[in-house]
Parts: sequence; C-alpha cells; structure tokens
Amino acid sequence: MQRRIKHFLSGIAVLLLIVASTNVASAQNAGDLKINEILVLNDSNTVDDFGKHTAWIEIFNSAYNTVNIGGCYLTDDLSNPTKYWIPTGDPTTKIPSRCYMVFWADNHPTRGIFHLNFDLDGAKTIALFNADGRTLIDKVEIPLENKPDITYGRPTNDSEQWVYLEKSTPGANNDYTKKKSAGESFVEFDPYGIGMTMIAMFVVFSALAILFVIYKNMGRFFIRRSVSAQKPATSEVKVAAKHSEEEMSGEVNAAIAMALYLYQNELHDFENTVLTINKVSRNYSPWSSKIYTLRKLPR
Amino acid sequence: MGNFFDFIIEHLAQFLQFTAFANMTVGHLIMICIGLAFIYLAIAKEFEPMLLIPIGFGILVGNVAFAPGYQIGVYESGSVLNYLYFGVLQGIYPPLIFLGIGAMTDFSALISNPKLILIGAAAQLGIFGAYCLALALGFSPTEAGAIGIIGGADGPTAIFLSSKLAPDLMGAIAIAAYSYMALVPVIQPPVMKLLTTPKERLIRMKPPRAVSKTEKVIFAIAGMLLTTFIVPSGLPLLGMLFFGNLLKESGVTKRLADTAKGPMIDIVTILIGLTVGASTQATTFLTMKSIGIFALGAASFVVATFGGVMFVKIINLFLKEGNKMNPLIGNAGVSAVPDSARVSQVVGLEYDKTNHLLMHAMGPNVAGVIGSAVAAGILLSFLA
Repeated sequence: MQRRIKHFLSGIAVLLLIVASTNVASAQNAGDLKINEILVLNDSNTVDDFGKHTAWIEIFNSAYNTVNIGGCYLTDDLSNPTKYWIPTGDPTTKIPSRCYMVFWADNHPTRGIFHLNFDLDGAKTIALFNADGRTLIDKVEIPLENKPDITYGRPTNDSEQWVYLEKSTPGANNDYTKKKSAGESFVEFDPYGIGMTMIAMFVVFSALAILFVIYKNMGRFFIRRSVSAQKPATSEVKVAAKHSEEEMSGEVNAAIAMALYLYQNELHDFENTVLTINKVSRNYSPWSSKIYTLRKLPR
Repeated sequence: MGNFFDFIIEHLAQFLQFTAFANMTVGHLIMICIGLAFIYLAIAKEFEPMLLIPIGFGILVGNVAFAPGYQIGVYESGSVLNYLYFGVLQGIYPPLIFLGIGAMTDFSALISNPKLILIGAAAQLGIFGAYCLALALGFSPTEAGAIGIIGGADGPTAIFLSSKLAPDLMGAIAIAAYSYMALVPVIQPPVMKLLTTPKERLIRMKPPRAVSKTEKVIFAIAGMLLTTFIVPSGLPLLGMLFFGNLLKESGVTKRLADTAKGPMIDIVTILIGLTVGASTQATTFLTMKSIGIFALGAASFVVATFGGVMFVKIINLFLKEGNKMNPLIGNAGVSAVPDSARVSQVVGLEYDKTNHLLMHAMGPNVAGVIGSAVAAGILLSFLA
C-alpha cells in the first residue's frame, strides 16, 4: 500500500515538474500583458504629466485579474532586454483587469517611473520582457514611416494585427465603435426567442441525456455485479430475501419514511409550547446545606 | 430663554425630518404590507417559512424610509446591509447554497431510474417559455433571460443569473421565484389534473432499486464533469452542487457535509433572504416591470409543469406496459426541491391511497436542479 502511495506521489511530482517547466516564471501573470498602441511622433497629441508632447507606449492587461507590471522590462533594443526596469513595490504599477497603462518614451527617467530611459527616435522595435529579463512577453516592430500624431496599434484588444489608428486612445480601448451586447446581437436574429428555446432545450437535453446513457449502462453493470455476488446464496436465503423484498417494497419504505417525517415535525411543533415542571424527588443536597457554610466553633 | 426654546424646537423639527414618518411614501406602505403578507403566509400557512420569513422581514427592513446619505440602506455604499448585499450582487451566496443542497440531496432515485433525468430537462421549457413571453412584452434580451429563469423554480439560480444579467430586476425576480416556489402546491395540481387522464394517474411505477455507494460517488464526479464540460458557465452552481454531494456520498467527510448542509446553508439562507428582501425598496421595486415579472413568473411555472407532464406522457408512448411512468411525477421536473415532489405524492394519493409517488418524483426533482443550473449557464453564455 505504502509503495503504491509512493508511486502516486512521485507521479504527481513528475506531473508538477512538467507543468512548471512549460510555464516560465512570471511577475504576476505578466504573460497576459500586451503592447497595445504606440505613438512615435507626438506633435500635438496627449501631453504627459509635465505638459510635454512625447512619444508613448500603451500596455494592455488582457487578463481577467489585476497584473503588476513592476519588475518587468521595457526596451527598444532586443540585444539589451533589461534596458528599462519598471520599479517594483509601487501600487501604481498594478494594471486592473482589461485596463491600460501608458509609459512615456522621453528618455527622462528622473521624471517618474512611467518615464522611460529611451525615446523612440530611430527605434525599430519595442519589447516587453518578463521579470527574469530573458522571457519576451510581447514586441512590436515600429514601421519606418510615421506620421505625426497618428498612432500605431491593435485595432481591437484581441487583434494580432497592427495598423495605423484613426483616433489615438492612450489609456483606453482602441476600438471605440459602438458595440451591440451579446444579447442584442442574439435577439436581432431571434426576436421571439424561438431559436434560443430550441438551442437551449437541445443543450439541456443533451447534457442530461448523456448522464442518462451513462447511468443506464452503469446501472446495468452494477446490477449484474450484485447478481453475480449473490449467486452463492443458498436457496433458503434466496427465498427469505424474496419474502422480505415482497413485504417491504420501496413504496412502503417511502410511506413509512414520510409518515415518520411528518410525525416528527408535528411532534416538534407541539413540544415547543409545552412546559413541564416536575418536583425534584431528592430534596437534600450538601450544596444547599447551611451546616457546611458555617464556620466551626473554636474549641 | 426664548432663544433656547427656538433651538430646541428647531432641532426637534430637524430630527422629525430624519424619521421614517417624514420620509414614508405610499409605496413604502404597500411594500411593508407585502412583507407582512409574506410573514403571515410563512407562519400561519407554513408556505416555505425558511425563505418567506427572512425575505418578508427583509422587505420590512428595506422599506423603513430614511433620509439618504447616512449609510443605512442596502443600496448605500458602506452600509452594513450593503456589505451583506455584496454576496448577492456578486453571486457568492447562490453557489454556497448549492453546496448545501448538494450535501443534503440523495440522488439514489435518479441513479436507479436514469430516464427520470430527462423529465428534469423537459420541465426547463418553463424558463424558455417565459423568456419568449418577456421578449414579446418588450423586455430587453438580458432582462428576458433573467426573468425566464424564474421558470426553473430555483431561488439561488434565479438570484445568480439575475445578478449577472439584470441586477436592477434581481429583487423582483428573487421575490417572484421564491413566492411561486412557495405556491407550488397551489399552481401545479390543476395543470397536472388537466393534462392527465384518470387511468394515467393510477399508473404504478416499479420500486427503485438499491443504489451502491460507488455509484453515488461516481455520479457526483461524472455529473460535474459532464455537465460543466458542456456548459462551463454553469460551473459555480454545478461545481458546488456536485462537490456538496461528493462530501455526503464519499462517507469520509461527514463533518464537512454536516457543516455544508447545516450551519453553512442556514447562515447563507438567512443572509440571502434578508438582503434580497431588503433590496425591494419601494422606490426601486414598485414599477410596472415588477408587475410584469410576477405575471411572467406565474406563466413560467405553468409552462414548466406542462413541459414535465407532457414529456412523461410522450415517453410513455414508447415504453412497454409495466415500465410506464406516472405522468403525475412530470411536475417534479421543476427544481423546487422537495415541494414539487411532495405535490406529485399528494395528487397521486388523491386517486390511489396506496400509490406512493414520492420516491419516483424525487428523481426528476433533483434532475430539475441540474437542468435549471445548465439552463442558467446557457442563458449566461448567450446573453451576458
């Protein structure tokens, strides 16, 4: 038995090792971060907190939980992945779920943690590296021709494609077009709910039908097993079992159970209102005796 | 001296402005009457007292009118009631209740006669019938989905789904769902009698076989995996339901199962009942939409009962004599556990004093819990 447990535990350990080796250590799901939009030439676009027009890089947290970008690296040179270290221990480096963060590429790192130590003049690549300084999270090739104040980014959050965007949206979703909700889109094609009813009933039936098929077959298996287990029983035992089965069918059991349940419930309700006071038969107790509470007379 | 009296009178007048008497509206009075009616039904008629007393009292709590801005009401950030209401808004309480339901549910009837599972699916027709009607009445798709789930006759599922799809309507939906669950013994029998013939009502079903512990354990695990693989959005409810059931059936976690089906479900029921009741402030609750929700809720229960009973009748066409099912258990496909199963038993006994349908009806009843959670998952994945 112990040997089996050992094998089981070692199996789990191997499995964990395999899983761990496929998932590279990350700051905090930093792998979900994406470079989302960049502006190389900022003439009259957004100003930074110093009122300056500088190039910027927007990072998007595609995860459904908050991710701390602190500890990761931003660079414009793939041969130097640790060029700008984003400080850790700062609450402002936490990016909420599906939200954005803007870094100013102005080569003025003394202006704050969101100001990088490089600018985008002549830069060919922007890359985001994980806290280990080796694992590439995301990178973007900067196009050669950049128009002033026109940003380059993903048209939608989940897009892999990069295009020049009609409207710059630092710290916001690049896709600003009006969207229909899932429900509105559904009802557009199914205004009376007939389609929903058909699909949903089909799915509910399928889910429960699968359970039905499995349990029907499993039931057969267990019945067969119990029958084969009962085979060695003598004919007398069989007869006795048959009799007891006839005497106590499932319905009878159910009826007895329900009667007991109802009886106990009623009993409980009445009991609550009954107060019974009985005289205690034993009157004397040393605890209430005055003799023991008096001091003994001095001799 | 005169200045002092002016000061006293001024502050008394100011105090009066803070009292509920000064802030009371006709709507608040109506809601208080509804709350009192719930408490009366629970105590005098014993209609679902575990639910109607917390909800009824919650309605009273929620409709004591107050001057806003003092962190008192359920909708005011930072108030105690608001903190408790967080569990409803974020859908935390319903899965915990499902954990308790799982720990107290015996799936033996279902396992011994698996075809009863399908009745639980058929009765979900009520959900989608109400969804279609709500769309026709002009409710938005998400609102229609949230209203439809009333037909599942499952309070926690209704709260869970409405908190995701239509939080504004959650109070009305929860109240409607619980009210109609309490009224199952009134709503269902006429529909059952209307749809069945005297001969059908006398059908005797085979007694369920004994189910081994292994089968029950496998059911909890396989049931969770199969249903959630098909509808992952039902995971919070189905996962907890089957987890609770595994705690019970494994036989080695009795303490955990006892806690889940005892103190824990009681605490959560108190919190969910009170806060859902308190969320029915007259200002947000007394609208034409609420009236529409109540009407649709009643319709959904009728359609659900219709779906379950008719499904049994149709299935009976394909079953051999001796294997047929009594259509009076069809109503139990709605997941009001165990009330709808009791209705099957009571109505069955009216026609044959020795035909006990309770055990058979428990099968579709617990299948209805699974079915309504699956249906909620589908609505969530399509409409959210």
